[in-house]
Amino acid sequence: MTTGQLRSWLEERVPVGDLTEALRHKTVPLHRHSAWYYFGGMTLFLFGIQVGTGALLLLYYRPSAAEAYESVRFIMTRVPFGWLVRSIHAWSANLMVATAFGHLFSVLFLHAYRRPREITWVSGLVLLMLTMAFGFTGYLLPWNQLSFFATRIGTDMAASLPLVGEFSVRLMRGGKEVTGATLTRLFGVHVAILPAAVTALIALHLFLVQRHGMSVPPSVEDESRRSGRPVASMPFWPHFVLHDLFGWTVALTLLAALSAYYPFELGLKADPFAPAPAGIRPEWYFLWIFQTLKYMPPSLFGLNGELVVIGVIGAAALVLLVFPFVLSERVRTFRIVSGMAVLALVYMTLMTIVGFVVSRPTP
Amino acid sequence: MNARASGLALSWLLAIPLPLTGQSIEEGARLAFQDDVHASAGLTCSSCHAGPSSRGFALPRIEVAPRCGKCHGDAAYMRQFDPQVRIDQYAQYLTSGHGKRMSTGDSRVATCSDCHGAHGVRRVRDPRSPVAPVNVAPTCARCHADAVRMAPFGREPKPFADWSASVHAEALLKRRDASAPTCNTCHGSHGATPPGVNQVANVCAQCHVREAELFRASPKKAIFEQIGQAECLACHGNHRIEHPTDAWVGLKDPAVCATCHDERGNGATTITDVEHSLGNLNRAIASAQSVLERAERAGMLVDDGWTAQRDGREHLIHSRVMVHAFAAKPFDDMARPGLAVAQQAERVGHDALHELQIRRRGLGIATVLVLGFLVTLWFKIRSVHAERPPR
Repeated sequence: MTTGQLRSWLEERVPVGDLTEALRHKTVPLHRHSAWYYFGGMTLFLFGIQVGTGALLLLYYRPSAAEAYESVRFIMTRVPFGWLVRSIHAWSANLMVATAFGHLFSVLFLHAYRRPREITWVSGLVLLMLTMAFGFTGYLLPWNQLSFFATRIGTDMAASLPLVGEFSVRLMRGGKEVTGATLTRLFGVHVAILPAAVTALIALHLFLVQRHGMSVPPSVEDESRRSGRPVASMPFWPHFVLHDLFGWTVALTLLAALSAYYPFELGLKADPFAPAPAGIRPEWYFLWIFQTLKYMPPSLFGLNGELVVIGVIGAAALVLLVFPFVLSERVRTFRIVSGMAVLALVYMTLMTIVGFVVSRPTP
Repeated sequence: MNARASGLALSWLLAIPLPLTGQSIEEGARLAFQDDVHASAGLTCSSCHAGPSSRGFALPRIEVAPRCGKCHGDAAYMRQFDPQVRIDQYAQYLTSGHGKRMSTGDSRVATCSDCHGAHGVRRVRDPRSPVAPVNVAPTCARCHADAVRMAPFGREPKPFADWSASVHAEALLKRRDASAPTCNTCHGSHGATPPGVNQVANVCAQCHVREAELFRASPKKAIFEQIGQAECLACHGNHRIEHPTDAWVGLKDPAVCATCHDERGNGATTITDVEHSLGNLNRAIASAQSVLERAERAGMLVDDGWTAQRDGREHLIHSRVMVHAFAAKPFDDMARPGLAVAQQAERVGHDALHELQIRRRGLGIATVLVLGFLVTLWFKIRSVHAERPPR
């Protein structure tokens, strides 16, 4: 059987010819901001790494307060290449959150959320939130001291919510306190619920990106209109994919280097009866929220300070979700969006840096 | 001593500021008595003071102890305040150096009120009491560190200064370990008297049980008895008990063994063997510590190594105790397994560092391969761009 015969045999049974044909004709705009297009692919690649390494970790990990820490230690010390798999999983998670944030801000600055890509934007924003939820639920799984107390602080934040505060805390913890029940619960969310939700949303996100194509920034569109020349483009296959592959290979090498030189530490086993170590703090991507809460007075305008922060962040998330649907496509509006994005980025970066400098955890 | 001087002494003893406004001694005593354990038990001035005499209300010093002993030696009376209370203080006092002299009419020695206070007496467990554990030594020192006061009795005023520089004082005063020994722990409280040569080991053995057992079973016991040498004191001293170090074992300065032994004498081989074994064990533990710390700093998990290291340290502590057997075999039986686990800890550290090298070497090789792949990819990208340039 020749290659051509094999291809037609396969096409008859798995008809994907029109899809591959579409990919062959798909193009990616080429302009001075094109580099930002790679953030989405990089985040997807890191998600793939997470799925692969997570599946390997599942072979040995035991989700109970009595065995979680020991099983992670076993993975790190006894399982061949266990140290590499666990460290890559942990480092890749951090890198994935970083690239997801990079992707979000690039979309904001390039105004890629505009009509008809509003649903693509919403699916992306929800994906970012789910990525952070991945980080939050995965952080407790090694059951070490830092993760235990950081989870206690993190879940405590929900307690200030009006009406549903107590319920939310109980829902997250599986009880009043952070216990083995919390670990089992977060493990279930981390390995079943979140992957299912994220996979479905990624499918929708990619489908929409495929249907609408890559967005061209308004400034580039204007230049093209003024010059009368169409925006340059390159074929998705193989040009863009090869560029992606280049970036992914660099990312993989970086992960391996981080794992070899800075293996993700395990720390001490969680002891619910021990006092919280000084300088306890959540993962870096929650640090700006944590730091804002720390600086907030107990009472503001007669309201609970924590509640005000959570309310403002909730309102901001809501605005982020709906603003593409209501925004007019004017240069002034784009400038306002860019200005707000810069302000948010500066604030989040500053608070994260302050969080790192001010609250160093005690080993 | 006139009444004013007695009042001043009393106020100093009880740490009560005597007003400079001319407050009477009786007024000072009345104020102090308000915070007195006896007052809280319902006793009054007349319980101790019969009435004014030629000396005023003050009790003659020689009468203080019998007066206190009248109640404190009466089991039926004392039981109503505390069913567990001791009633042998006065009987013990009579056996003490203080009590014996006082019985002969020498009132210069300590009596109950000198240590406990007269008015404003507090329970021993009250930290403000002059006989609470942390206050005992300063209370004794008021007399025993006073060279002028000690001279007539032929006693040195050094014990308090010596004790203050000891491990026991460090434990009691710095670490606030109330179980650490102070004056009365070794000398007794009410029956205070210096332990005799043959009694010293028994005193130390109250806490240092294992060391005492080993010593009693050792060949040294009979020799020390024969030459009239106080057991523990020979190496550790009495009041200035310092942290023992491994350098104490050996035949050269600063080893304490060298005080009696030289290279030609009996026991030289045992001393040298123990010295070498201790040195080897210490070096093995220090070496393992350094390797494990290096491995851990590099991000390696070496929990097994730390477990072995803890085991090694425990063996070192037990080995140091086994020195008191003054024999090579029991010491070796403890030190040899310690050496083995310390070496095992070091091996774990070396294995981790070796593993780290393998990882980094592997990463280096992988990086070279990846770089090769990236270069190839770069050329491929250039070639596809050349074949189908962007439109």
